[in-house]
Amino acid sequence: MKQAHAARKALRNALLAPVLLAALAIGGTVQANDPADPVDQVLKEKPFADARVVLQISDPDPFKQTLVLNVAQNLLKFYGPDRVDIEVVAFGPGLRLLFADNAQAGRIATLADQGVRFSACKNTITNMGKKLGREPALNPTARIVPAGIVRLIKLNQAGYFVAKP
Amino acid sequence: MKSTHQRLTATALGICLGLGAAGSAQAANWLMLQGTEKADNAPRAKVWGFIQPEYQQDFSDAHPTDTYIPPKLIGPGLDDQSAFNIRRARIGVRGTGFPLDGKVNYFLLAEFGNNAITNGGRYGDYTPALTDASVTLNYIPGARIRAGLFKTPGAEEALQGIIALPYINYTSVTNQLLLERFPDDGDSNIPPQTTPSADMNGFSQSAGAYRDTGIQIFDSFDTGKWEHSYAAMLGNGNGVQILDDDSNKDVYLYWSSAYLFDGKAGGPWRSTMKLFGWYQDGKRTNAYDKNQEQDRTRYGIGAFYLKRPFRVSAEYIKGEGMIFQGQHTPQAMFNDFKAEGGYVEGAYFVPNTPFELQLRYDTYNRNVDQPNKATFDTWTAGVQYHINKKTRATLNYAFRDFSSDAAGPNSHLEGVGDRVSVQLTAVF
Repeated sequence: MKQAHAARKALRNALLAPVLLAALAIGGTVQANDPADPVDQVLKEKPFADARVVLQISDPDPFKQTLVLNVAQNLLKFYGPDRVDIEVVAFGPGLRLLFADNAQAGRIATLADQGVRFSACKNTITNMGKKLGREPALNPTARIVPAGIVRLIKLNQAGYFVAKP
Repeated sequence: MKSTHQRLTATALGICLGLGAAGSAQAANWLMLQGTEKADNAPRAKVWGFIQPEYQQDFSDAHPTDTYIPPKLIGPGLDDQSAFNIRRARIGVRGTGFPLDGKVNYFLLAEFGNNAITNGGRYGDYTPALTDASVTLNYIPGARIRAGLFKTPGAEEALQGIIALPYINYTSVTNQLLLERFPDDGDSNIPPQTTPSADMNGFSQSAGAYRDTGIQIFDSFDTGKWEHSYAAMLGNGNGVQILDDDSNKDVYLYWSSAYLFDGKAGGPWRSTMKLFGWYQDGKRTNAYDKNQEQDRTRYGIGAFYLKRPFRVSAEYIKGEGMIFQGQHTPQAMFNDFKAEGGYVEGAYFVPNTPFELQLRYDTYNRNVDQPNKATFDTWTAGVQYHINKKTRATLNYAFRDFSSDAAGPNSHLEGVGDRVSVQLTAVF
């Protein structure tokens, strides 16, 4: 009797396991991203930077995702990681660049390792969440800013060159 | 008499030695390239397609009765021995319809060229056709789902995209064993004809175009520099006809393991060495006798190795049932014969130039278990001029040696001669 019960339990678990795995995969495990550091604080991270650049990505065109990352890479190549301060601010349709499953995640991780910061607009996240029924899972390197456009303004006021490749 | 295996192996060795020892390779994962979009990096709708104008001239001799058979004529009309044509003219759209959820992809493509898909031959009309219409769901890791009309997982020559198809004409084994024709009960056999109005295309329905309508589960897995891919599909077994013509379903299985020389570099030209195997099985209802059902089985193995400046690839394919007997004999399709064949090919990309030199040997043994066994051996020499990344000009010269064990067919096949083909491919 006990054996039959154990067998039924094993069968139930065997049947449920793939369903649960699929549900997890479909739902995704959303891990909250930390807020971005204030502008006056990030200025201190690279005190000897020769150039401070903020790259705007707000375009739905996937090619722009590649272009923004190429520009960041070229800036690092020209100045060197310690002599250039780069922040990529994503908002609107451009936020897709910072989605967790984005095909460019590998490049983003490589750039983040070299000091490039990636900021995600909270307004966009909220609005996309309404359309999706859940907030999109973001790349773990992304930091949240209340509004992408405000972040651009503040960085610009602090001396950053704003570029929209 | 050497077997097909022995001839292919010997030729492979010859081509490899001729090309020298290659370094790394390039081969594409067509399952993924054609079935999925880059995650969160795809447009809502990307319009794309390709156009292939061409000219072909056949140098075969007429039969003593001054008549011709299909291998001596230019398809798909099979009227004469020379022709300009638009082999393919396809336009489509692909992407992710709701960009915020990149896990749903779609792929739509239509054919307007003049070929076995659109040309209805003697008993039909020119009819543009939908060749691909599929939706892919990428929600379950390890089990992507693709549903609709699309290329079935199988032989590399059939599965690969036109952007990378190096030769103008398919090998005999792929053309005869894998490019399935679907006879209609109104299609009759056509005896050898005189030119210039031979009109020997006896199939009024679209050829299968290596496609089927159904559902496929598939994915690729990276383990270091190795990428393993699988696909399992269930389909109607009715080509691009979309609707099923009977209650039978075809099963398709596919596996490939590829070594990625450049790690995860993607795209059709990545450096890879790939080994693969596949299997297809189904039944066909006889168009001329609805009570008869005929098994149709195909399977094969292959290897693809490409690294600039070299490319080498080879496939070996076998088939049982529904063995194609010629474009002029639709009524002979429903048989239980056997066939086998394969090819070995290599290319040399001349460094710092746009030229690619090619050489291919293909062989096909039709009706291997029958008294009318026929053998189709072809050497194809080619050169491609890559005008840019998406535009190329191709020149092929095929040396053909066809024969049959049966005297009647052999008297026609022994006159099959060389063929020259020139084609321009523009992808947009």
